[in-house]
Amino acid sequence: MLRARGLSVKRGDRQVVHGVDLEVRRGEVVVLLGPNGAGKSTLLAALAGLIAPSGGDVEADGRVAAALQAPALARRSVVANLEIALSWWGVPRDQRRARAAAALARLGAEHLAERHAATLSGGEARRVHLARALSVDAAVLLLDEPFAGLDAATRADLLYDAASVLRDPGRAVLVIVHDRAEAWALGDRVGVLLDGRIEALGPPGEVLERPTTRRVAEFVGFTGWVEDGAGVRLARPVDVELDQGGDLHGRVIRRIPVEDGIRVEVELEHGRLVTVTTPPGPDPGTNVRLRLTGGVRFDRGQPAAAWTTSSASEPSPPPSG
Amino acid sequence: MKFFFDGLDRAIHLLTHPDDALLQVLKVTLQVAVWSTLLALVIGLPLGLLLGLETFRGRRAGLAAANAGLGFPPVFVGIVLALLFFRGAPLGGLHLIYTVKGIIVAQTILALPIVIAFTAAAVHAVPSGLFDQARALGASRLRVWALALREARVGVFAAAIGALGSALAEVGAVVLVGGNIFDSTQTLSSALLEQVNAGNYGRAMALGIILMGLIIVIVAVLTIAQQRGARAAVGRAS
Repeated sequence: MLRARGLSVKRGDRQVVHGVDLEVRRGEVVVLLGPNGAGKSTLLAALAGLIAPSGGDVEADGRVAAALQAPALARRSVVANLEIALSWWGVPRDQRRARAAAALARLGAEHLAERHAATLSGGEARRVHLARALSVDAAVLLLDEPFAGLDAATRADLLYDAASVLRDPGRAVLVIVHDRAEAWALGDRVGVLLDGRIEALGPPGEVLERPTTRRVAEFVGFTGWVEDGAGVRLARPVDVELDQGGDLHGRVIRRIPVEDGIRVEVELEHGRLVTVTTPPGPDPGTNVRLRLTGGVRFDRGQPAAAWTTSSASEPSPPPSG
Repeated sequence: MKFFFDGLDRAIHLLTHPDDALLQVLKVTLQVAVWSTLLALVIGLPLGLLLGLETFRGRRAGLAAANAGLGFPPVFVGIVLALLFFRGAPLGGLHLIYTVKGIIVAQTILALPIVIAFTAAAVHAVPSGLFDQARALGASRLRVWALALREARVGVFAAAIGALGSALAEVGAVVLVGGNIFDSTQTLSSALLEQVNAGNYGRAMALGIILMGLIIVIVAVLTIAQQRGARAAVGRAS
């Protein structure tokens, strides 16, 4: 178990982490998401004991190990890198080789054991970096963006391997990631860190599908918005459809080919929505009608409420423009 | 030109028929070089690691002092030490003046900045992420320092080579602290100076050739060892 209470951290004179309360239970994987500069790595360094907090405290049942963002490996073979980490951890010499080999095998990296660290590709180095952190068998494991800088295929491979090996009934795991798909794959709970504060923390479905604040919603992908007198509705591209019978209308301002089709940005009188449609899609300047199929609504002075047009119990949105 | 070839001729004769005086000078030279280099490494490596790896108030001043020490005039260091070592001086009780031990102390002081400055620069050049990662996996300060020495081994070797080269070739502090006493505290470089002053250019030339040969052989061996380590790492990496 790892528990932070009122944890604050400064970098120089700048307060980077503000009074964070966080608990990661044994057997649980908690994922922290946040934009660049939100203080994720600083928070992790403080939890790992690498930076002294300026306020609050950190408590852990057992020893804490961390794999930092850069997969820094010493100039020696892969297996020697794991063995030296085990020596830092205090593992007796006669157990190191077997534990290093087992950790590499768990991440499918046993074939890399005798390679020199400098010859590894980015994906291989990340895999070894993760194996090294797992090899020490810490009670609390902290991982800082373990999939950063990898191409999509390599990242997916490592993500699925990591998702299966990280979970351990005796271990509490905190993972910082940059990508919502990684949060879905790894986390029992997901937290969103914005400006050094945890703005949301809960099961992935709750935090990523039904965010409770506008800032969190915008960060987790609800980038389209429509304002009315009472509040604002936020929507992801998947929540918006081009529909000639739709009750919203606006003008196409951008049309960008993407992997799944054509990304269309539409400006409304009181908002802007994004959707993905099938090619060729409307040209910029075209007037279109839209329909919202999902999203979240934030009324002024009211807590957020999930809103979908498919729900009979929810009011139909007023037309825009 | 005649002087030069006469000198060379005498040098070859001395090299092929070494006398007791030459062997004694050679012995003192090696004794001073080896001991002062070892002492400079023992004292200087931890200080270089401290300055290269740790963050503390006064670190920059320490680095500046070590770098400034690279340019210390040996004659000035020699005169300061001699004045401290004379009988009745603050360190007179140590009985180091005009002794080989005194020369070793002087050469250690001259070699220290080389070891400290080179080591600090070498370990500072290693990406700090590796040391942070080591700490994040439970490495103690001592373990991090050991890791730094290994990662920066090429630079640390350069520090040792520099220290040894200085100890072999230096003459000013040797003469002032050791007194350049024949058959006692003379090193190759101070004996060479004495021979030049006495007009014995042939013997001076011979001593110079031996000194140069010694420096070249020792430094070459160390350089080969250094480059072998570096090449092994690069070879494995390519």
